[in-house]
Amino acid sequence: MAGTGHAPLRDDRDILLTVRDLEVEFPVGRHEVVHAVSGISFDVAEGETLGIVGESGCGKSTVAKSIIRLNDIKSGSIDYQGNDLAHMEGEALRQIRPDLQMIFQDPISSLNPRRKIRDVISEGIAVWGNTKGSWSQERIEELMVAVGIDPKFGERRPHQFSGGQCQRIGIARALALDPKVLICDEPVSALDVSVQAQVLNILEDMKARYGLTLLFISHDLSVVKNVSDRIIVMYLGKVCEIGNADELYENPRHPYTRALLASIPEPAPTVDVSEGDIEGELPSPIHPPAGCRFNTRCQHATDICFTDEPVMQQVGDSDHYLACHHPVEVAVSVV
Amino acid sequence: MPDPQLTVEDLYVRFPTSRGTVEAVNGVNFTLEKGQMLGIVGESGSGKSVTAKTLMNLLPRTAEVDGNIIFEGDDVRAVAKERRKHFWGVKMTMVFQDPMTSLNPVKRCGEQITETLRYHLGDDKATAKKKAIDLLEQVGVPEPSKRVDQYPHELSGGLRQRVVIAMALACEPSLLIADEPTTAVDVTVQKRLLDLLDGLRRDRGMSMILITHDLGVARGRCDDVAVMYGGRLVERAPTETLFADSRHPYTEALLRTIPRIDQPSHTRLEPIAGRPPELIDPAEECAFAPRCRYAQPDCLGTIPPVGGVRGQHEFACFHPANTDRGRQALDANLAAGQTVTGLQIQANAGVN
Ligand SMILES: Nc1ncnc2c1ncn2[C@@H]1O[C@H](COP(=O)(O)OP(=O)(O)OP(=O)(O)O)[C@@H](O)[C@H]1O
Ligand SMILES: Nc1ncnc2c1ncn2[C@@H]1O[C@H](COP(=O)(O)OP(=O)(O)OP(=O)(O)O)[C@@H](O)[C@H]1O
Ligand code: SF4
Ligand code: SF4
Ligand SMILES: [Mg+2]
Ligand SMILES: [Mg+2]
Repeated sequence: MAGTGHAPLRDDRDILLTVRDLEVEFPVGRHEVVHAVSGISFDVAEGETLGIVGESGCGKSTVAKSIIRLNDIKSGSIDYQGNDLAHMEGEALRQIRPDLQMIFQDPISSLNPRRKIRDVISEGIAVWGNTKGSWSQERIEELMVAVGIDPKFGERRPHQFSGGQCQRIGIARALALDPKVLICDEPVSALDVSVQAQVLNILEDMKARYGLTLLFISHDLSVVKNVSDRIIVMYLGKVCEIGNADELYENPRHPYTRALLASIPEPAPTVDVSEGDIEGELPSPIHPPAGCRFNTRCQHATDICFTDEPVMQQVGDSDHYLACHHPVEVAVSVV
Repeated sequence: MPDPQLTVEDLYVRFPTSRGTVEAVNGVNFTLEKGQMLGIVGESGSGKSVTAKTLMNLLPRTAEVDGNIIFEGDDVRAVAKERRKHFWGVKMTMVFQDPMTSLNPVKRCGEQITETLRYHLGDDKATAKKKAIDLLEQVGVPEPSKRVDQYPHELSGGLRQRVVIAMALACEPSLLIADEPTTAVDVTVQKRLLDLLDGLRRDRGMSMILITHDLGVARGRCDDVAVMYGGRLVERAPTETLFADSRHPYTEALLRTIPRIDQPSHTRLEPIAGRPPELIDPAEECAFAPRCRYAQPDCLGTIPPVGGVRGQHEFACFHPANTDRGRQALDANLAAGQTVTGLQIQANAGVN
């Protein structure tokens, strides 16, 4: 399946981040590698929220970590305001890194248990330096108020807070460095449904208030739709489909996107439930299938799918792109 | 009308701890008919797993239990020692969220199933092996005669959960309790596992209790759904009634707080204010009162008893949602901008 091809890259907007042909492999055993991310390209416009969905192991976290250089990149480039993050080192990278912050799935274990939360929130400054002069006691208090944590609890330690509160503290910590891009890797997956909404609303509020650009990763299709402007669907290290959030869910064309939307407990009305019956197991990322990577489980596969990798192409003239030899034709509903 | 297959009456479970006594289950009552699928939903710590473990006799010795549990005429809390291996794991079995809770990592999958059969049913080796392969086939494990010789780590998470389901079904139980059986797997795998459980239930006339935090799963799969809060069953109804016409303010709040796939992106969500209730030394009041948009002075005086129509739509609330009494309470609170507990509320929006 392609993520090959640059069709979804835009040149007509305020693009802040462009990932081009990103490839990441992890060595396993002596001679083999996991093909975690295999040549994907996308961009993020300033102020936009880009969602990434896909099942476990498809490479979502690897994409996120590559952007902040937490794993080695085999090839490709990551352009951020004219700098190639994939090839920066040392002091230059250090200068730019505070601009890109990340929050993680497990809110409690990602906070240092021994520190007071006031110090936890200003921790990044100690690591990256007060490069933007953003740090001050007032700023920390402002952030605590903004995420709904009473500053009078600043002396308490993380274990005295609930999961949802810890995730909000994590957001405040990421924002203390005054970043431009906030990468959220499954930020609400470990939280109870009753507190997910608090955290999602706070992310929306912070985005508006601090002019953030968001990369939002989740395996939950409803959550991703709620927060995103644009969404990427990934499968086994490749991109299947990219599009405007509402358009993608109303008019899914890739067989895998449709299978996902048909599998959720209350399936999307735009798909037939039987499309969710995908057979077989996820192939090994060590020996991914040739041609389209979804070919072993796709109801629409033909010979070409086993030999030729489909390339990203635009659907009509809308903000909607997919990589498939046989996009599913959908009846245009006449309202 | 025949007796229900399972009756749980006034169930209480407490855990003495160094911080005080945890009142985990506080007077739970419910019944289950033969062949029925009952969903139990509720937030973390609401007592779902403790209730299930009580049925399965899996609580630690320190737990203090009170109440009656009758299953197919048997008093579950008084099953004689020598009958136990013909009861739990045979008539009533359980599947957990993490398949590795039930699987032994150093034993082949087939052996784990044959051991279950030999221990509980006394099958001989050859019969047990044949049954094991059949079972794996029934639960949709591809190439079952090959898989019996594999170790759990050689299988994907979804396949492991299928092996666990095969083990649970080995002795043809009449009740299967599944505690978050699909929480750790992807949606496409979840769909296959739930289809599987649904099919098995229909084919065998087995009853099921499905514990889940996913309201969509409960809605899509269960005949009836019960909502737990603070160790109590606060509402129970046939599934469509519960979702379309909920009575308990907590149920209503839960339904409104989750993002829905049919809403446009950036739809503002309505959070539920506050935190889950304290289970140590809880106040003698409605446990949801501090977070409830409907709360009135009488909610702080007594714990609301379960009312409504028994066996049809039951709920424990003094000012139920979607009733005149509830609307009056909510209107009064909206006019005041806050509730009796000081919770700030606004019209048409959640509280933060
Ligand atoms: N450090 C590593 N060493 C070896 N393999 C790795 C490593 N990190 C990730 N992988 C593999 O790379 C692939 C992509 O993993 P990644 O964590 O990016 O997936 P994901 O989409 O984030 O999944 P999840 O939803 O489970 O978080 C998987 O096959 C994973 O096992
Ligand atoms: N052995 C124990 N000792 C002390 N407290 C316990 C014990 N087992 C459970 N509890 C407490 O009982 C309460 C109910 O727990 P239970 O596991 O039933 O919750 P749950 O509804 O299943 O939640 P989750 O969705 O997180 O699984 C919790 O507060 C829990 O901490
Ligand atoms: S039709 Fe072919 S190219 Fe399209 S998803 Fe299926 S296998 Fe891949
Ligand atoms: S209205 Fe009263 S009794 Fe009902 S849930 Fe709210 S606080 Fe509890
Ligand atoms: Mg991940
Ligand atoms: Mg539980």
